[in-house]
Amino acid sequence: MITPARKTMTLNLTEAEMKALDELSVTKDMSKTAVLRQALRLYQMVEARLTRGEKLFFEHDSTKEKAELMMI
Amino acid sequence: MSERTQVHLKDRRTGTLVEAILIDGVTEEEVQAAELTWKPFLEKEIRRMEAAGVPKERLPQHRHWDWRQKYDAIEGYAAYQMFAIECESEMQGMMLVSTAGKVCRVESQKGKSLVYVHFLAAAPWNLASIVTEPRFSLVGSILLATAIQLSIQEEFSGRIGLHSLPQADGWYAHDCGMTDLGCDATAHNLRYFEMTAEQASEFLK
Repeated sequence: MITPARKTMTLNLTEAEMKALDELSVTKDMSKTAVLRQALRLYQMVEARLTRGEKLFFEHDSTKEKAELMMI
Repeated sequence: MSERTQVHLKDRRTGTLVEAILIDGVTEEEVQAAELTWKPFLEKEIRRMEAAGVPKERLPQHRHWDWRQKYDAIEGYAAYQMFAIECESEMQGMMLVSTAGKVCRVESQKGKSLVYVHFLAAAPWNLASIVTEPRFSLVGSILLATAIQLSIQEEFSGRIGLHSLPQADGWYAHDCGMTDLGCDATAHNLRYFEMTAEQASEFLK
């Protein structure tokens, strides 16, 4: 399989954002670039569904309690 | 954008390996062309099977899959990728995967990212469950290996997951060596299979 062509950009993050990215990178065992690429794909999907008038919920695995994720 | 790589299928009529093209980023025209040949072939074979008295549970369970509809649903989303294998100017198999939104369930890799295989199908003339003389083999294996390669490329270490139709359970469990996590009530009670990094490495050997 061929690696698709990629474009490079510089990203400016606050200390808190960089800390979050560092932590996710460790937890997910992925580079910061891979984490951000995945986050972008998720954000795009979530945004599309919210635009269609849907809501994003989290459901507790055992209690089945649902809580809406507030999006900005 | 569409990327093309050479792969090899086994021509079951001659027993030889033949050149084929793995397409990463199938176009709308290619999906339409596949549907135009797959659907009539499948419908004809199903009519033949029904006339021959084949029990309903042995009819192909993926016969309702509409690849054009799937293409329309995912178009423009960066999380989804559609692959196909072309040989002798016809699509021999297709696969739809996503690289975001699903995480691993196997305890040793719980919560880690994976490539989720939404749909994987070989062309109906390649299925031994439908025709007496299938044309090409290795279609499913190459597509699954492609999902693993994508997982490695995305830094998911080869981890993949999928829900299987009952007719394919045995193939994923025994031929592919995936871990069977049982029926999933949230996915039409289909069995959920997952491949660990170690199993992926074994599969690619």
